[in-house]
This record gives sequence, C-alpha cells and structure tokens, in this order.
Amino acid sequence: MSDSANATTERTESGESDATGGPQIGAVAGKDDAVLRVDDLQKSFGGLTATDHATFEVERGTITGLIGPNGAGKSTIFNLISGFYEPDGGTVTVNGTDVTGMEPYEVAEHGLVRTFQTPRKLEGMTVREAMLVGPRNQPGESFLNLFTSPGTVGDSESANLADAERILADFEIDHLATQPATDISGGQMKLVELARAMLAEPEVLLLDEPVAGVNPTLAKKLKTQIRRLNERGTTFVLIEHDMEFVMDLADPIVVLDQGSVLTEGTPEAVRSDDRVIDAYLGGGA
Amino acid sequence: MTVLGYLANGLVFSSIIVLGSIGLSLVYSIADFANFAHGDTMTIGAYSALVTFGAVGGLGGAVLGLPYGFFLALIVGIAVAAVVAVGTEKLIYEPLDIDSIGLLITSIGIAFIYRAVIQIRFGADFTRFGVEPLRPIEWLIPYGIRVTRHDVAIVASAAVLVVGLHVLLQYTDLGRKMRAMADNPDLARVSGIRTKRVKLWTWVIGAGLAGAGGVFLGLFNQLSPRMGFNLLLVIFAAVILGGIGSVYGAMAGGFLIGMINQLTPLLSRLGEVLPLVPDGFGIPIGIEYANAIAFVIMVAVLLVRPNGIAGEGAT
Amino acid sequence: MSFLTDPRGTLGDLTRPEAWVLGVSVAFLLLLFVALLAGALGPTYFLFLVGLAGMYALLSFGLNSQWGFTGLINFSVAAFFGVGAYGAALMTADSSPIAGGFNPLVGLIVGLSVAFVLAVLIGIPTLRLRADYLAIASLGLAEVVRLVVLNERWLTNGSAGLRGIPSFFAGWPVLSTFPQAMPGLRLEVVPGSPIFLEAPFWRASLNVLLVLGFAGATYFVLRRAHRSPWGRVLRTIRSDEDLARALGKNTYSFKMQSFVLGSLIMALAGVFYTHLNLYVGPGDLDPITTFYVWVAVILGGSGSNRGALFGGIVIVTIREGTRFLNDFAVPIDPAPLRLLLIGILIVVVMRYRPQGILPPQRELIWPSAVDGSGTPDRPASGVRERKRSDDLENRSENAENRSDDRDGNGPNGGDDDE
Repeated sequence: MSDSANATTERTESGESDATGGPQIGAVAGKDDAVLRVDDLQKSFGGLTATDHATFEVERGTITGLIGPNGAGKSTIFNLISGFYEPDGGTVTVNGTDVTGMEPYEVAEHGLVRTFQTPRKLEGMTVREAMLVGPRNQPGESFLNLFTSPGTVGDSESANLADAERILADFEIDHLATQPATDISGGQMKLVELARAMLAEPEVLLLDEPVAGVNPTLAKKLKTQIRRLNERGTTFVLIEHDMEFVMDLADPIVVLDQGSVLTEGTPEAVRSDDRVIDAYLGGGA
Repeated sequence: MTVLGYLANGLVFSSIIVLGSIGLSLVYSIADFANFAHGDTMTIGAYSALVTFGAVGGLGGAVLGLPYGFFLALIVGIAVAAVVAVGTEKLIYEPLDIDSIGLLITSIGIAFIYRAVIQIRFGADFTRFGVEPLRPIEWLIPYGIRVTRHDVAIVASAAVLVVGLHVLLQYTDLGRKMRAMADNPDLARVSGIRTKRVKLWTWVIGAGLAGAGGVFLGLFNQLSPRMGFNLLLVIFAAVILGGIGSVYGAMAGGFLIGMINQLTPLLSRLGEVLPLVPDGFGIPIGIEYANAIAFVIMVAVLLVRPNGIAGEGAT
Repeated sequence: MSFLTDPRGTLGDLTRPEAWVLGVSVAFLLLLFVALLAGALGPTYFLFLVGLAGMYALLSFGLNSQWGFTGLINFSVAAFFGVGAYGAALMTADSSPIAGGFNPLVGLIVGLSVAFVLAVLIGIPTLRLRADYLAIASLGLAEVVRLVVLNERWLTNGSAGLRGIPSFFAGWPVLSTFPQAMPGLRLEVVPGSPIFLEAPFWRASLNVLLVLGFAGATYFVLRRAHRSPWGRVLRTIRSDEDLARALGKNTYSFKMQSFVLGSLIMALAGVFYTHLNLYVGPGDLDPITTFYVWVAVILGGSGSNRGALFGGIVIVTIREGTRFLNDFAVPIDPAPLRLLLIGILIVVVMRYRPQGILPPQRELIWPSAVDGSGTPDRPASGVRERKRSDDLENRSENAENRSDDRDGNGPNGGDDDE
C-alpha cells in the first residue's frame, strides 16, 4: 500500500548490506558540459538485473529524453541517479562531483532534483503551501531559528512566497494558489510539481513521466514550460512514454533496453534506428 | 537446572512463540500491516479452550497426560480464534479505507476490545486449565531436564502444525498463492490470484495458529487476559529477527527468541556454561528481563540487518 | 485555544464540528460549574481534574508533534511520561533511594535529559526504516522502561513507588508558602452545602497555574513550529517522505527532531504529574496511558493542537466517568471498561472519521509572510475531507501509466492501489 515505505526498505536493504559508502573514484572534473554522468551503473534485485552497465552523459543545457520499452529499467536508473537506490556498481557524477551512494537529499544539494511519476498529494496543504516545500535550505527549516531569528525566517518565507506565486503565475495556475492541494486534478498536480521543483533551483531536473495521465491541453502547457525553463538554463532529463511528446521536446534521446543503453542520438536518428524498433517490438523481455 | 534442562524448557517455549510468530508474519505480509491484536488473538484461543474444556470435561482417555477433552478444547480454541479474526477482518479491517498505518492503529483498538471483553467476563486474575498437573518425566530428571508429558505434547502438537503449514505452503495451490502474495502482492493481483480469498485464508491460518499458541501458553504457564499482549513484544521480535514476510524466517526467529528467553538465567553464569569463557564471567541479568532481552535483540537486528537475519535482498 | 488568542475572528468562521465541540465543551464546563457551586464536586478535586486534563493535553501535544505532524508512530508515550515523572520524583522525593531533596527544577532538567537520551537511542535504529518499525520498537521500549522501574529497587523503590514528593514550588520565594498564607474561605451558594477553600485548594490552584504555564508554553512553541517551514517539511514527510527527500530535505534528521521534541513534551507532562499527584509508582507506566493519549490525538484530529486539547478533556472524562459509573450505576470493574471504551473509540474514529473531529484546516504559512497577500480562502469543509473522492478520480487517471510501469520499483510507482 504505502509505496514510499517499500522503497525505503528496499533502499536500506541494498544500502546497508552490500554497499561501502560508495567508491571514491576521484570524480575527474570531466568535461565541463556534462552536468550528469552515469558510468557503468549496475543494479539487480534478487536475481533480476534491472540496470546492466548503463553509461551515458547529459550535456548541460539539453533536454535529454530517456526512452525504452517496458521493463527497460528507466525508473530504476532514475532512482539510482537520484540516490533512492544504491547501485551495485558504477558511478553517478553530478556537476563534477561523485554522488554515488549519497542520500537523495545530498544529491539534491549538488543540484539534481527529481519529480515522481505519481505525485502523492500533500494532505492538509494548500497549493502554495505545497509549493513552499520546494526551496532548499530555508532558514525556517531550522527549529532554533524559529525562536532565535523569527525575522529572518519571515523574510525568507515572504521571498519564497513571492517566488512561488510568480512561478504559479508563469505557469498560469495562480488561481489554484489557495486551493487545497488535495483538490486539484492530476494534470494540475504535475504542473505544480514542476513548478515546485523549480523552486529548489536545480541545475538538472529529472522528470518521471511528466505528462502521464495529463490531458492534451495541460500537456501542451507543460511542454511550453519545460522548453521555457530550459532556455533559461535548466537541464532536463525526462522519462516519457508519450513518443510524440518526447520526440518533439527532447534532443538528444537515450534509448534503454534491458537495463543498458541501446543507442543515443537525435530524435531522427533514434526513430530510424532498426535496433530501437526491434527492442520495442520485442517487448524487452 | 542444567544447560540441557534450560534447552528443553526453551524448546517448549519456542514452540509457542513459533506458532505466534508464523501467524503474525503471514498477516504482516499478506494483509500488509503489523497486527497488534495478534497477541490478544492468542488469548482468545486460550480462553475459548478453557471454556470448552470446562464444559466437556475429560471425555475418557488421555494422550501424554492430556485428556481427549483437552484436544477437543484445543481445536475449539483454534477455531474460535480463526472465526474471530475473520469476523474482524470482514467487519472492521476490510471496510476501512485507510493505509497500512491506519490499519495498524485500528488493530490496537481491536486488541483492547478483545482483551476487555475477556477481562469483563473472566476477571483479571490468573487461571489454569483443569488438567491434573504432572510430575516431570522420571527418566529425564538425572540429566537435569524437568519437562512434563504436557510439555512433550506442546512440542509435538506444534511440530504437527508447523509441518502441516509447510506442506500447505509448498504443495497446495492455496500455499503457492499465499507465497506469491507475500512476495509481491501487486504482482499476485495482476496475475489473476483472487487476493481477497487468499487474504481470508491467511487470517484463518494465522489466527488459528495463534489460537493454538495461546492454548499451549495457558498450559505451559497459566491464563490471564494480558497473557497475549504481554507476549506480543516477544513475537514481534521473533518476526523482525526472521525478516518480516518470511514464514520460515518467522519459524527460525521464533525458535531463537523462545530459546534465548528461557536461557536468560544462564546469561549470569556464562562462564560455567561456555568452554572458553572464564568461570566467573556472566551477564548479570535477571529472569524478569527475559522480554527486555528480546527487545534488545530486536533493536540490534534493526540496526544491523533491518530485513532480518535471513533476509537478503527481496522478500 | 485559538479562541483565546483571537476571539473575534474565530467565532465568526467556525466549521460545524468546531461549533459542535465548542458547544459540548461549554455545556460540560457549565455542568461542572453548577456541580461545584452546589457542593457536589469538591473544588480541590475539581482543580485536580483540571490539572489532569492539562497533563493529558500536554501529552497529546507531545504525541501530536510526532504522529500528527510527522506521522511517527510512538507507542511509548507512557515510557517518556514515566521517565519524566520518575526523573522528577527521584531528584526531589524524601523517599528517593538515590538522591532526593533537590530543587524541583533539578528534577525537571533530569527528567527531560533522560527522555532526550532515550528518544535518540530509540530513534537511531528505527527512524530510517518504515513507520511501523518505530511502532513495534517503541512498544518494546515502553515495556523495558516499565520492567526497569518495577525491578530495579535500588534505583526506583520498585513496586512501592515514591512518596514524599514536594510541590513544584517548594523552595521558591512566596509561592512555596502561598497555600498556607492564604486565608481559609467558606462559601455557601446553596444553603446547607458550604464550600471550603483552604490550603489544599490553594495548592491545587498553583498546580493548575503550573500546568497552564507548561501547556501554554508548549502550545506557543508548537504553533510557531507548525506554521513554519520546519513544520511544513514534517507535514510533507507525513504525506510523502520520498518527495521531501527528492527536494533536498534530510528527512531522517527532521524525523529525529520531531521525535525528540515530542518525547520532551511527554516527559514534561510526567514532571508535572509527579508534583500534582505527589506519588509515582510503576502503575503509572501502564501502556494504557499511551493509548489514552493516542485516542485523544486521533479523536481530536491528528496534527491539530486544538484537537489535542479537546482530546485531553475527553480522556479525563473517560477515566473519571468509568470510576463514577462503577461507584453509582453499573458495577463493572472500571479497568476493562476503560480498555473497552478506548478500543471502541480507536476503531470508530478510524472507521468513520480518520481525520479526527477537529483536523487542522487553516493554511499554515509563517504569519508575517502572508500578511501582505490577504487572508487565504479557507476551504469550508476542511482540507482533508475531500481526499477520498479526489483519490478515486486520480486513480482512474493514473491507471493507465501504472500498467506501463513494469519496473515497479519506483519509489512512487504504483502506490495507493488495493
């Protein structure tokens, strides 16, 4: 039922039993234009290999699409990159820092933020409250500050609230600001999620199926926003089943099959690649 | 008492804990919540048997010092525990539209209701089954083992039940479905298993075993409305030790925790017992802390191996 | 409580359950007041009950900051309460086997310190894991603390308990002699049944002041914390911990803070209890105390401090009501009757109103930050209540993408079905 709970146990089991805090293979600062580097990543569950020596790079300023048939291991890779799973082998480098084996919050500190495929709704919060969870390292997140420097807390809260309302307005959903977050549609929730993730000021934002279950109008809106934010400097990596959406938005595209990278290239190149067609037709067992 | 004697007692107590922990583990994985009413389900079994035995009497012959009537009472105890658990599932848990944490909290309420009803009916005092107390088996006394034929009956009955469960899990359709569901409920549902039915059987089996455990606990010690709740911590420790969701883990965990529980007196004179340890050495801890030891083990397991001693990777 | 801080604003926009609770509470208070004037209820005993209600409210605040804010299941409320109570008693009581005779402030500090250490120790192994591990481990902790108190006679006096505890204000200037210094009063409202207000009454008044002070301070701290970004992270963890982690929050640390804070508040309630009851024994650590508090919190509304306050009053009513029933009406042993009532209340609340009677409803944003943007629209039916229908709607929406998600391992993949 509670899936976050499952994920947590799973994390711990893989994390505590076999990992040793992550290899410190000195993150060679790498090419400056690779904001995210996935190198020889491996992960298996029980006997099932979910990620099989996957290697790819995400260039700064791109919108990179991650596609592949069902069971190709897309979600697992996202979880590995963002620190929710600990890899059995390989490294993840964000901004030149080796983040392998770090907790998700530490990965976020290094500028990589992710969204979830099915966001759970924040009970008892209005939309703008839910938005205010986004900004990182708020002074008001320290318990002591609440009593020693309430002024600072208030100032930052005002600033964050202004930011939140501005970005909601940019997204044309400012009319939802004081609605209960449990009260808006799934599609609107996806927009709110994207908006909130932007408040965390990520350099790379991983979007897990941003338009799944979203109606076409809202999907178009999402596409526009992603493009606009990308032009302002945010790098995006997205998993998406909607081929039209991903081919239109992303370049380059990385194709995964059976846990490893099958090919990567421009949408045109990928589209005409026979291996990709085979993988999709073969059903990726 | 000698080491052998403690081990023998441990075996008897372990049998009871194993019966309790199997059921808790099954329900934990298949109904997907930590059932805090499990201990009180044991109490229900014990008191149902008490009433039945009081009503039917000995019924003539006896096996292992236990009259036939007692075995009938045992079966009634198992049945009542199962019926009450299924009734609770149908009336209370199933209609609830809450997550597993909500179910957990609800189960605390259920536990209190069970116990309160028993306490209102039977009072808070200790009672015993009306079975003639036996002297320890003569020929074992020289070895320092003081067990009665009743204890032998407990171990034997528990063994029969555990083997029966093993056969059920390994060789029947229901058992395969139960294992599949314990492993991965979502997948089981997708692959067309009628999960509701399997869940119901899980309650029947889990609560039935708990009921049997309760009856034996009453025979081993005595009965009181708190008997099950007091044992709950020990059973949880066993389940966590064995890895939540693993039936065989629960058996192993139950066995270990039950043993350690009864071996507590030995801890203070470890030196005499273990070969390489100097004679004066011991962990000075009284028998009154037997349950606390289970707790400490449980916390240690959570720290080092949150998935239990046997747990590796996926359930 | 919000009524006290903002009487005009609050009365106007009460929701139905709020009005209902307010009505019942006022009627109940009036009833007690009449009984008081008529001499049916001793004023000193009445004040004792008020102190007790305050104590349960304090305990509820503590649990609320764990379960209500963050979703942490703590089944060892009685243990933290007991640690506070014993800490205070062992430092101050004449009969204390280890120390005794210290100023009650020393007891306060010792009680809170031990609770702090205990909370950290139980938090370390469990707070990284699923929520139910804490539930199980904390139930175990409660049992261990009870066993230690019962068996370590050299430390705690064992089952005899501790007597000879001074009032909290012993050794303070003025306040320590206040009850004796006040003149005895005799009131006769109803002819023939006079009310005496003497030293015990004044002592009880001081206790009520003390618990009001403790509870007031706690309420102030929690209210500020609840409306802050700190509290917002806790509430996010409660709904979706993975989301909080993905957004860069160190959820383990937040959970630990929330757990420790709540445990300290529970210990504070224990300290107060010691000086209210002037006797502590192992019986005070019975798990039933824990579940009284649970009922108070889930009944009042998880996450709602007003609800916790209301819940505290309900508990005292159950406790004293069953005693009264036993004395005058149905001769049923109050112990199992309380157990039964608590059990039924838990089940009924979870069945029919899992969000509690007074769920928190107002938008919780740092006050100075929202001043500029006008008063937020308050959803008339409460933020939580719409959850169900909405989930249904959402479920069908997500059904499609869920069937695609064969990876199945995503932290958020394929949740909330069943």
